[in-house]
Amino acid sequence: MKKQSGKKGLIAVLILVVLIAVFAVVYSVMSPSSSQGSKSLTIEVIDNEGVTTTYSVQTDAEYLRQVMDETEGLTYEGTESEYGMYVETVNGVTADYNTDGAYWAFYVDGEYCNFGIDSQPVNDGEVYTIEYTVYY
Amino acid sequence: MGNPSGISVKDIALIGMMIATIEVVKDVLAFLPNVELVTLLIVLYTLFFGKRILFAIPAFVFLQGLLHGFGLWWIMYLYVWPLLALLTFLFRRQTSLWFWSAFCGLFGLFFGALCSLPYIILSGPAAALAWWVAGIPFDIVHGISNAVLCFVLFRPLHFALNKLKNAWF
Repeated sequence: MKKQSGKKGLIAVLILVVLIAVFAVVYSVMSPSSSQGSKSLTIEVIDNEGVTTTYSVQTDAEYLRQVMDETEGLTYEGTESEYGMYVETVNGVTADYNTDGAYWAFYVDGEYCNFGIDSQPVNDGEVYTIEYTVYY
Repeated sequence: MGNPSGISVKDIALIGMMIATIEVVKDVLAFLPNVELVTLLIVLYTLFFGKRILFAIPAFVFLQGLLHGFGLWWIMYLYVWPLLALLTFLFRRQTSLWFWSAFCGLFGLFFGALCSLPYIILSGPAAALAWWVAGIPFDIVHGISNAVLCFVLFRPLHFALNKLKNAWF
């Protein structure tokens, strides 16, 4: 009985060690890391009238905010918070959520960005869409 | 006992002590991210005092809410700690120190995954996955520290609780 229990304990420890390794691998593969070097990115801004402006950017930046800073012709403003910047104005167009439920939505390759612009990692070939959106 | 609830005065005192000790170890170690003794205490209390832990956990969670505010993490606490007690109860016949160290370690390792569940409803599976992955380094710290703390403290605490239980009940 005791031996059996000890064996189970060792199996449980082995499972723990293996799972820690699996978690570490999952993190290294799926975490918001980004590649170094020259990247070609596209930023599309769709404003409140549905007009699309497209920018092509060559950058070594790691995060979206640096890319936006480097993009010629693109301007933005916002409020700094503990989670990074909340973008309110793009190219002079302000989305005021409190007045009409409007906000600037950020997409990467058509998918909603899971991170703020300060922590959204950028990779070569990605297309970022910044769209004026009204929440109904 | 002889009362309809099956809870004696001794039980009430014991439950109070359980709440107090869990609360104290939680807040004393709060400055070390994801290093905690709540897991170990809940495991030991479940092993020794069985269903009485079901009174201590809700009180502990409620007190945490009062002390730190009722945020989203509080919703997570509502199911994470009772789940730990339930799992402990299911494995209560295990006696190996290695087993319980691994058990506490695994609970720490999966803590983030368990806590990401509300995000599936609030923001969708992709956001929940991103939230969980971003916290994996903390989960690994949580898992290792839980396993080590259990390995070091399980026997001394087991000894002390055994003495207490024999003297009291």
